Amino acid sequence: MIGKRLRFESTRATEFVDITDRLREEVRRAGMRMGRLHLQSLHTTLGLAVNENEPLLLRDFQGLLERIAPAGAGYEHDDFARRMDVAMNEPVNGHAHCRQLLLTGFTTVLVEDGDLVLGTWQSVFAVELDGPRHRQLALQLDGEFEESSVSRSGRGAEAGPASQTLVELELARQLLVDPDPVAVPMRRLVEAGGKRVRPRLVQLTAGIGPRSEPLRAAALAAAVELLHNATLIHDDYVDESTHRRGQPTVVAKEGPERAVAVGDYYFAKATRLIAEIGNRDVTSTIAEALEAICASQIDDVALRGAFPGDHDSYLRVVRGKTAALFAAACASGALLSETGPEVVDALRRYGDLVGVAFQMADDMVDFSPSSGKPVGLDVRQRTLSLPLIYAAEDRTVGPEVRRLLAGELGDAEVERVTDLVISSNALDRVREEAQALVENAVHELEAIELDGLRPILISLARSAVDRTA
Amino acid sequence: MSIQLLERDLERLESLWEEGLSDAYRSYLEAVNTYEPEAQPRLALAAALIEIGLRLQGLGARAAAAPGLLMGDLCLARSSRLLAGAAPQSVQIAFARAIEALSAAAASGSSVPAPPTRELLLRAFEAS
Repeated sequence: MIGKRLRFESTRATEFVDITDRLREEVRRAGMRMGRLHLQSLHTTLGLAVNENEPLLLRDFQGLLERIAPAGAGYEHDDFARRMDVAMNEPVNGHAHCRQLLLTGFTTVLVEDGDLVLGTWQSVFAVELDGPRHRQLALQLDGEFEESSVSRSGRGAEAGPASQTLVELELARQLLVDPDPVAVPMRRLVEAGGKRVRPRLVQLTAGIGPRSEPLRAAALAAAVELLHNATLIHDDYVDESTHRRGQPTVVAKEGPERAVAVGDYYFAKATRLIAEIGNRDVTSTIAEALEAICASQIDDVALRGAFPGDHDSYLRVVRGKTAALFAAACASGALLSETGPEVVDALRRYGDLVGVAFQMADDMVDFSPSSGKPVGLDVRQRTLSLPLIYAAEDRTVGPEVRRLLAGELGDAEVERVTDLVISSNALDRVREEAQALVENAVHELEAIELDGLRPILISLARSAVDRTA
Repeated sequence: MSIQLLERDLERLESLWEEGLSDAYRSYLEAVNTYEPEAQPRLALAAALIEIGLRLQGLGARAAAAPGLLMGDLCLARSSRLLAGAAPQSVQIAFARAIEALSAAAASGSSVPAPPTRELLLRAFEAS
């Protein structure tokens, strides 16, 4: 059984998002031959449907929903004065909840011969009823799988669940041998989740060259993830963050002295694990990335005096803070597999572009009420954020955004700034810029031989922006 | 004493040079004379950066404020790059283990004092 989340971002209030191809890709990646794919909406205003993807028919469906449960028809749910515990950003969406009742929140699709069992005209839709929003579907694959995704002949196996399990096992193994005062806080952070994009990049690119060794790749991938988490522990101290991935930060739970020590311990341990792999180019690549991260952290803090900053400063910081390790993950995996320098360079550029796009998408999440993260945290912490930079430049809302950011930022000010950013075209600009970077990243892959991995790297790049798992 | 460091090796850390980094550097320089001449300055600087970086962060004592922590991180990262370029694998590993030992002791809040940083790092040079 494999469980995961399928994430996407809707773009309209009502939208039929065809997820059939994504589900097919999940089945293929998992190496599933026969069984059931269970899908469940994790939202009360997001439904599921299996029907025909014909644009006029979809408009008919939308019309039907609007006729049965029209917006603004006096829903009691929208009478906030009579409701308890209404959130500050509670939307007026009684109609969306009622429409969801007409659909379903869960569905099962059969899998045979490694593919979804669907009729000629059937597609699977996630039906957005209160968008645009970030959305998540829970997915479980239950059935018979190919013997081992790693042993499959196709190079796409490096992206498979068995490969990812190797990293999780390696992370667990490393944390098991460490002393409790450092291992316990790190285990809490690692087990709380994280997207594991960097280790995936290492594993994928480590399968490109002639020396493809899954265990060495997993060791490098786990070390890169530990290094990333070590930097997060120090970041949280600097940013005075109390929570990360839904858990208390090390500094909040164990205090600053422990946070400094745990960060240092895993910084050192990760560099040791990488040195033990015994490839000097890999060691240097990661060391250079780490230096870029640390230098840009200093710049990031320095720029808070000129908050929200400008586009050039933003790019400079993000290239170091986020993209450097993405680029190094891609390059180091390729180096480990002893691929040619032109491939390493192209992958490094790919990682850099995807890393910047990933950070832009992360910035947008700060303004999304459905993300599961506190809205406006970047505003409150005066963290460099491209939507804020664009909103501050906006002719309409810019003057008020700049005035608010120049003063004390209490709850009311943070909420107002957040509203102004959302009401401007800042988020659209950031989304378009991130998508353009991803297309440039995809372009970097065109001229190099990737032995079957290109579709997975393209998919991963696009998911950096749309956050489709 | 001639200092044969590249400008890049001290970039953004110049202010630390007069604040203890140069003294630490000179101390370690004496311990690296068995290495290739061109590697010696970088190895000595790598060790000095670890010593100063950990001190800036307040490891094992009261944690430094954000600027000290970040500058300490940069020292450790710079040291890591220097070692990757100039040190044998065994020395890279020994240096990492020295930091692991110091930070694990700091995290445990042990009443038994960890060995002094310089002593551990000088011992790490013997790992080659």
